[in-house]
Amino acid sequence: MNDTPILSLTNIEARGFISYPDIHIFQKKVCLLKGESGAGKSTLFQILNGTLSPTKGEVLYNDRRVEEQNPLALRKEILLVSQSVFLFSETIEANFRKFYEYREEECISIEKMREYLELSKIPRDLNTSCTELSGGERQRVFIAICLSFLPKILLLDEPTSALDEESAQALMVNICEFIKKHNMALVLISHDSQLSHFADQEIVLKRQSADGRILT
Amino acid sequence: MHQISLYSFASVYILLLIVLMIMKRAKINKTKELFVASVLMTVQLMVAGYVLTYLFENPYPLFTLLYFVSMLLFAMRRVFSQKLALNKKFKISIALSFLFASIVVPIFFIVFVTEQSFFNPQYTIPIAGMLMGNSMTGFNLALKAFKENLENNQDSIHCLHMLGVHPKKILMPHINSAFETALLPTINSMLSMGIISLPGMLTGQILAGAAPNNAILYQIAIMIAICATVCISVFCGLYFGQKFLYNERMQFTF
Repeated sequence: MNDTPILSLTNIEARGFISYPDIHIFQKKVCLLKGESGAGKSTLFQILNGTLSPTKGEVLYNDRRVEEQNPLALRKEILLVSQSVFLFSETIEANFRKFYEYREEECISIEKMREYLELSKIPRDLNTSCTELSGGERQRVFIAICLSFLPKILLLDEPTSALDEESAQALMVNICEFIKKHNMALVLISHDSQLSHFADQEIVLKRQSADGRILT
Repeated sequence: MHQISLYSFASVYILLLIVLMIMKRAKINKTKELFVASVLMTVQLMVAGYVLTYLFENPYPLFTLLYFVSMLLFAMRRVFSQKLALNKKFKISIALSFLFASIVVPIFFIVFVTEQSFFNPQYTIPIAGMLMGNSMTGFNLALKAFKENLENNQDSIHCLHMLGVHPKKILMPHINSAFETALLPTINSMLSMGIISLPGMLTGQILAGAAPNNAILYQIAIMIAICATVCISVFCGLYFGQKFLYNERMQFTF
């Protein structure tokens, strides 16, 4: 096991009252983030992704303070897939192209797109319009696009919430294999207890009041 | 021009009463606003009439300048009082762009197009007023459309933001769309002008006895100037303003 964390959070406090335990994320590992609603899981994801700055504490990515690093480059490497995904009202292929264009990167080949769709368990043609997809399929198409960016850390917020148990397990098996194969790290928010066995590390966050007290 | 008697003039308010009755009947809850707006308009224009009469009789440059500055300040107050701006710096950027366009375009128009002195109140006051009024309406439309765009596209904005897309690239389509919304009324009125409608200034000049051809030249020139004022002020306001909608960590601040 590689003992040096790729991402470390120390003494983090957000929005003035949510404090977090120290967190270390390792390459090729899956970290499961649990906790009831309002415990600050999604806020933590925003901090990890750099779309929100903590009010206190230090975030180190590759042993360097995130404040000293290019925020956009960092966001591309620590990719956040939130619960409400967005797809353009066009075909799946057009969506791949549009997201690559937005990120100013060269788009992957058609074959590669198909591979990522298969990986995300989407039995659909690339010419399928995203308006025809179900909520779960839209989420997986978006995950497929995000995986194709090959981020260093992938943050998935409830990736299986719209899936049945069997599909959820199959998707997670594929994602976890992919993560390990490409030296990535996966941080997962999920209420699904069936996903626990995928995790190498589990963090439970407690809900806190505005004055910082832990609510039970 | 034929002088309207006070009694004949008062009869126009019958039309306003009809509007009020229709609004009441249709249960449109804006009767108070319409009443206040009508009273304010009447009082403001009456006062303006007296002030302008005095100014035209005493055309001192300082008076014209003071009137122009007070028009600017009044318009700026209107722009600032709107709750459509997203944060303070964005608001300042909009106010400065408004100020810039409202000073530069009237000066250009009066000095180079009408070949008059900028201190001639007969030209500066009505022309600057028309340009500022249209610019204010343009801003109103643009800011409303921009805010609605941001609200209606929250999912795409957040998603692209999280993928590491530059905030400017995310905001630009919404800025362009708001800009189009602001320009549309001016472009539409340019398209229909002369065929469907004779605009206010042209009508006023013709009623005042000016030769239609000369009045039309003025109208064409003023329409282009209005278009330029709306375009410059709204574009600069939104384009420079968007830089204040995210911080140095590329996080949105609205």
